Amino acid sequence: MRMLTRKILDRAFTAGGYLAVALMTLFLLWVLVPIFVKGAGAYVFVGTVEYRRMMLGEFGRGNEQRVAAEWAEVQRAREPVYEAIAAFERELPALPVARRKELKPAFQAVREGVAVLLGPAPGKPLPALTRMIYGQTRWRQAQDKAANILFEETWDYSGNGSQKVHVPRQPLFEGTALAPVFPLLRKELRSLLRPRLTFYPRFLTDPSIDAHFFGGIGPEVLGTVYLALGAMLIAVPLGIVAAVYFQEYAREGPVLTFLRSCVNTLAGVPSVVFGLFGLAFFINTLHVSPGKSVLAGALTLALLVLPTVIRSSEEAIAAVPRAYKEGALALGAGQWRTVLTVILPAALPGILTGIVISMGRAAGETAPVVFTAAVSVGKWVTPSEVLSQPTPALSWNLYNLCTEHEAVEEIRHVQYGMAATLVLIVLALNLAAILIRARVAKRLKV
Amino acid sequence: MILSSGEQTRRKLLSLAGRSFLFAVTSAAALAVLAIIFFIARDALPFFRASGVGEFFFSKAWYPAHEPPQFGAAAIFAGSFLVTGAAVVLAVPPGIFAALCMSDILPFKVSQVLKPVIEMLAAIPSVVYGFFALTVVAPFLQDSGRWLPGNIEIVSGVNALTASVILGVMALPTIVSVSEDALQAAGRELREGSYALGATRAETLVNVVIPASMSGICSAVLLGIMRALGETMVVWMASGNAAQIPKPWYNLLQPVRTLTATIAGDMGEADQMTGSAHYHVLFAMGFCLLLFSFVCNLAGEWMVARQRKRLRGG
Repeated sequence: MRMLTRKILDRAFTAGGYLAVALMTLFLLWVLVPIFVKGAGAYVFVGTVEYRRMMLGEFGRGNEQRVAAEWAEVQRAREPVYEAIAAFERELPALPVARRKELKPAFQAVREGVAVLLGPAPGKPLPALTRMIYGQTRWRQAQDKAANILFEETWDYSGNGSQKVHVPRQPLFEGTALAPVFPLLRKELRSLLRPRLTFYPRFLTDPSIDAHFFGGIGPEVLGTVYLALGAMLIAVPLGIVAAVYFQEYAREGPVLTFLRSCVNTLAGVPSVVFGLFGLAFFINTLHVSPGKSVLAGALTLALLVLPTVIRSSEEAIAAVPRAYKEGALALGAGQWRTVLTVILPAALPGILTGIVISMGRAAGETAPVVFTAAVSVGKWVTPSEVLSQPTPALSWNLYNLCTEHEAVEEIRHVQYGMAATLVLIVLALNLAAILIRARVAKRLKV
Repeated sequence: MILSSGEQTRRKLLSLAGRSFLFAVTSAAALAVLAIIFFIARDALPFFRASGVGEFFFSKAWYPAHEPPQFGAAAIFAGSFLVTGAAVVLAVPPGIFAALCMSDILPFKVSQVLKPVIEMLAAIPSVVYGFFALTVVAPFLQDSGRWLPGNIEIVSGVNALTASVILGVMALPTIVSVSEDALQAAGRELREGSYALGATRAETLVNVVIPASMSGICSAVLLGIMRALGETMVVWMASGNAAQIPKPWYNLLQPVRTLTATIAGDMGEADQMTGSAHYHVLFAMGFCLLLFSFVCNLAGEWMVARQRKRLRGG
């Protein structure tokens, strides 16, 4: 019996281990799957005729004649909607006062809803904001907007607690001139908007239009590339030199111990403190730039990744077989030459692994660049401006779009697209590191 | 090889120059951390000199925009500790179990496959975790209140619990990989000795392997705490940012505000007027964070060193 309990306990323990591992894997999937699935929606989606008009109008892309022909057909299909609205507008003043009072707000909502769904009515002056010049460019959102016209969303307080209910608007307008609009929106939405599967790979490189309502994430991607490359440009030489010193030149002693523990401590500094330091030192003390700039951000990120670069380079140098070094020395090469021509080339793949991983880290970090480099306005930064201008970056703009944007829900697809792109960049860099490491392991085995 | 004395001196000088160059660059890289301490302290000092430490550490009144401003950060410290504590409580048991599983239970090949999973968890940028918390976890939590026993109404999915869960996940990779290293360092002989005495695997792990690698596991937990305490984006986006101590204090379903989120969120308003009290109080918070991370780091290093010594010297 006691043996049995012990066995059961043992099994339970093992099961606990499996559970923990499974939990971790499941969580990873829970994070990655929605981000990739919904992020793909920024690149591949069902676009409407409004999307094609927007592309032609804002980016000059697409076949002008074909879009014009399609637009003419769509306008014909939309005529009954606009006619019904106009007819109801004429009919409204003649209605009894009570009925008018009841219908007017609902009519207002319908008219505004139609403008959001299909764009401004023909013959009206064009609004100033680009987002209002076009109707819904994405079919999924168009369906939601159509539902907003068909149903009124109210709260029902009758039960326990409050519940959202959707009340159809059509019965309210039964018998009026507006009534035909509702079946049209319900059944003919396709001919009003002409949804079609659309590929938009240039989401990655297009600038955004009107605060990310349209267009892509090009300036943000470019900013992330600037920051990550800039950080590596600074951190890699420093890191490799330090690693060479630690591994090949330094003698054991209090100085070495002190320097080592400095590097270890640097690795533990919270990322937001790096941001504070970048602001206080690079910008407010050294004045590397008048305000936030790519340069200040890259310097800050370089410090952040420096310990990783040093450690991985040290490991790579330490893994170079002793025989290589001894061979070089025996052939009469000095220590300098041995390091440059034998040890570093042999350690290169390992060093590269650390560099690639650090680059992913630098690309994904947000807190250090908030005060030193990032702005939310999505403007291209040219290479000549990196020394003085701040830049948008994927990480910061993802934060900005999902918390501070005026219409967070409207641009979910852009947020997911950004998140997926950022994760993809980081994971691709990590994958590259894993592949390099596997090759190194193979080479060292032979 | 015989060299003329002039050639020899030249070589020696060159070698010395190269060596000093390497030393200079290395020191510059390593001493960056001292520069960080110095500049954070320099900008934190005016605050402590002007307002003292009493209000900062013991008052809950955080009204930096009032006239005169009030900088009581007690609630913010409490928020940081609450979120970090909860994250660690959530992450440590699965973290240690996963480490045990990878070092002792799973076959070598499977655990090699699992390593990339952990690396990916660690590689996902924190802002993406924050975005995930905001768009997936928070609505999920808000809806799930109805299904919980007692029909709890969760006012907002953006609260201390959401932040803690995500922080826990972010601390997991550190905890798993560091404790796995510690478990493996405990060595075969200990395990085989225990098996030879007739212990089951669970008994071996609990009674022999874990005690032997205890300091390594503790340092893993400390590193996890550091990771959670210093994390910014997730708490900024998902903790609700209300400078208050939840009532009762363990009520994780209320919003809190942390040190890191306050620094990140307020600096946008404060950095326009460099030198204001608001600017300096944020540096004071950064300085406290820096101190915490030093303490954790030192304690962690000390524990790792102790384990190494114990395993070596028996």
